[in-house]
Formats: sequence, C-alpha cells, structure tokens
Amino acid sequence: MPVFRYKNSEIYYDLFGNEGDPALTLVNGLSMRTSHWAPYFKMLPQKGVRVLSYDMLGQGHSSKPILGVDFDDHAIMLKALHDHLGIEQPYVMGISFGGVVVLRYAIMFPDALKGLLPISTFSELDPVLTCHAANLYISMARVGFEFYLDLLMPLNFTNEWLSKNRDLLAIVKRVGSSGNEIYGIQNLMESLASFSTITPDLAKITVPTLILNGEYDALTPRHLHDIIRTNTPNSRMLVLPRMSHAFTLEIPELCARIFAEFIAQVGNGTWQGDQTVWIANEDANAPEIAYQCPGDHLRYVPQTSQEPTTQVKRTTWVRRSTRTAKSARKTVKAG
Amino acid sequence: MSDPSIEIRTRAMEFLKQQELSPDTQTRICLFLQGVKSINATILSRVEFQPMDWVPYKFLHSQCYKEVELTTLLGKSTTWSSNPLIFLAATQLNLSLWQETGAARYMGGMLKVDRNFYEYLALSHAFLSVIRILPLLSVQISLDTPFLSALKEIEEENGRQIQTQIRLLKDMAIELSLDEKENIIESQRQIVERLFLRLLDEITETRVAA
Repeated sequence: MPVFRYKNSEIYYDLFGNEGDPALTLVNGLSMRTSHWAPYFKMLPQKGVRVLSYDMLGQGHSSKPILGVDFDDHAIMLKALHDHLGIEQPYVMGISFGGVVVLRYAIMFPDALKGLLPISTFSELDPVLTCHAANLYISMARVGFEFYLDLLMPLNFTNEWLSKNRDLLAIVKRVGSSGNEIYGIQNLMESLASFSTITPDLAKITVPTLILNGEYDALTPRHLHDIIRTNTPNSRMLVLPRMSHAFTLEIPELCARIFAEFIAQVGNGTWQGDQTVWIANEDANAPEIAYQCPGDHLRYVPQTSQEPTTQVKRTTWVRRSTRTAKSARKTVKAG
Repeated sequence: MSDPSIEIRTRAMEFLKQQELSPDTQTRICLFLQGVKSINATILSRVEFQPMDWVPYKFLHSQCYKEVELTTLLGKSTTWSSNPLIFLAATQLNLSLWQETGAARYMGGMLKVDRNFYEYLALSHAFLSVIRILPLLSVQISLDTPFLSALKEIEEENGRQIQTQIRLLKDMAIELSLDEKENIIESQRQIVERLFLRLLDEITETRVAA
C-alpha cells in the first residue's frame, strides 16, 4: 500500500484504474478503512472510473495523531494528496464523517472539483444526531471499543444484512477493534465536539452534487440531507430504498453504477442540478437507475395518493369506542 | 512505520497464528506487561500521598489500582515456563524498559503540572496504545482461554484508561507549544514501539531457536 507523507504524518492510499479516466476519491466514514471499498476497486475501473481510497489521519494504516485534527485539516490533506498524485479535477465521494470532509473540501476549494457525492451525512447537527454522537463517544471512552461497534451495528446496517451476516458479526467486531486505534477514532469524533454548522457555506458549492441517503437511515435521516439539497444550488438528492446508513457496504453494485452514471452525466454535460429528489431503482441492472420521487420525500414512505395500498378492515372511532364502553360496563357489572 | 517494524509485526503475526501460545511465549508477554504496569502503578501511586483536585485524583487513582489488578489477573492466567532462560531474557528486556523510558525520572517528588509530568503522560499513553497483542492474532482464534481472555480484558481496559491521558495531554494548562507537545508524544511513542518490537522479535526468535 503506497504512502503519502504529509508534514509529520503518513497517509496510506490505494489507487486503481486507468490514468486518464475520471478519478473518484472515496472518503471513509468514522471507523472505516480503505479495505471497506474493496468491491469498488474492481467495479469502478470496469466502468471507466479511476478510484482513489485512503485512510484519513486517525484511521487504518495512516498516522494517528493524539492532538486534534479538524474537518478543515482533513479537507486540506485530501487536496494535498490529490496534488501529490497529480489528480486534477477529481470527483469526491464521502460517507458520514467523510461526507462532512468532502463538503468542506468543496467549500474550501470550489474550483478543484468536478463533482461531489455526499452520502449519509450532514451539514449541521440536530439534537438526535448530537445524542447519537455523544452516546457513541461515551460508549467508546467508558465501556470499550467493542461496545462502540455494537452500538454502530444497528445504526449502520439493515435487518436483512444483519440476518445474512449474523455468523460473521463477531469476526467483523474483532477485525474492527484490531484494526482501529481507539484514540485515533476518538480524535476523529472530537472533531464533532467543536463542529458548528456549515449549512450557510453550502451555497459556495458550485459543482454538480449528488446527495445520497438511505431510506431507513436512522443516524443521519432524510431531513439532514434535505438541508444539504436545498442549500446546494447544483444538486439532486437520490434516496436508496430500504437502505440504512452504511448502504455503500450493502449494495456496492448499485452504488458503483450510481457513481459511474453521475460521473458520465457530468462528463457529457447531461447533468441537471435542479434540486429535485429521486428514488433509486432497487435492481442494480434496471434500465433506468432512478425515478423522480412522487410524494413527500421527507416521509419514510412517499405516497402517490392518499389511498392505502393494502386491504384494511374499515371501522370508525365512534363505533369502536361504543363497543369498548359497552364491554367496560359489562365488566363492571360482572365485578 | 518503518520497514523493520512491519517485518517484525508480520513475522509475529505469522508466528502467533500457527499455534496456541506456548508457556514460553505467555511468560515473555506476561513479564513484559507486568513490567510496564508496575512502572505505571509505581508512578501513579503518588496520587495517594498528595493533595490533588478530585476529578484528576479519581481517574489517576482508578488507573493506579486497575494496573495492579490487571497485573495480578495476567499472572494468574499465565501458563508459566519452566525454562530459566526465558526469565533471564525477560529480565534483560525489563531492564531496558526502565532504562530506555527513563521511568525513574517520573517517580520522585510530587506530581505537578510541568514538562516532566507531560512526558510521563505521553509515556503512559504509549504504554496503553502501542502495546497491543490481540491485533497480531488471527481473528479466527478464540479468545476463550485464560491467558487470551486476560489479554483481552487488559487491552479493553487500556482503551478505557487511555482517556485520562488523552484528556490531560490535550487540555492540561501547560506552557508547551503544540509542536513541543507533539514531539514529546512522538518520542515517547517511538521508545515504547522499539521495546514492544524487541519483545515480538525475541518471542519469534525464541520459538525459532527452540
């Protein structure tokens, strides 16, 4: 694995694909490493996309400074890595914590990018996310790293994935706790303690921006992505049906296709940053990758009409309460 | 991460995944960790004898007694070697541990907010963060043995205890620039890294020689 020396630190990275193809940088979430992107190292080059992945400071094989590094430092380091590799006008995709890093990147270096993919992320902390962040921090610092990973599992993955991988979970946890240094992750988490909203700066992002959000993402739900969409002029939002926070790990085929098609659209000038909301097709091989969201996209289930789609036995509150009252009177008499 | 470091770690991983830890290996690991924890406990024991604000006292007190408790737990869980050369080699490494860390420098006088205490905190941070055996084991290996479960307990506890050092290293009101702080932290890390790699190197060599 190659290393980029930045000041006193070492940043490990992987670069796959053909020189000359458009380059997409994948920026990790909080406790991820480059190896989490392994499926994309094959799929994206096959679709004509060069792919760069790296461990942020504090993660995986990269240096883990004990004193603080903030979101802007990560964005500056990523820019330095691109410059070092001679990658001009890359696309950058960041998930969760990495999503904030790429938003900062696009704000700080608006002319350096060709396109932006913020995923499962936020530009400001709402009370629920603040509580989640505090819980995760306390679990890691006071209980232990494995419990931190336990807390993350149901926030990150769907029922389907957890059922399918039940036997692997203990191993996943061992790999996670072996591969991470607790103080490295702690340092990253502490960036959140001093985080103040970047929403007002989103207007500075001028590049095509495709925002991705899992339908059932309980950690960074829809409304946080909607804030990014409504404040980023050249954007669209794409909702991934039935997916949770870490859907890039669950459905790499569909995600790779979405990334590649976004890059193709921007490249050939067909991208439309009209701030509309779309829903991805669940079949990665479907002819159309997405359809426009027909209803209220801030609901879990956007509805096309007010009529229920399942058969229900209709009744009324009045009749039901009458029955309940009669039944209650009988019970009293019997008593 | 220099090449010799990667080479030694790779060799240790290869060695540790092949079989259960022998009494020789367990003894070497145990004596090294006991040496490290004894240094920490000895330095921290001074918090019992001096006035101090409650919050730092509480954390340092807890850490001191945890270090003693874990030393005992590890000793009880170890299948001890009957080879005197193993104990000789362990003693030599522990002598280097005292010499190279300059641990005695942190044992005199009162604990106070100065460069000396900052250096100790950085050393203690390195003890807790650099010395990790479990990441060298294959994730397929069950930790359900007395020795490995004790190691797991220790490394989990190290993760919790390290919070005290991190907070103080970051927030302590001390007249050191960021660069000075980073240099202190890095130099202490390198010392502990060298000692830990020597342990791994010797364990591997011991096995090869046997």
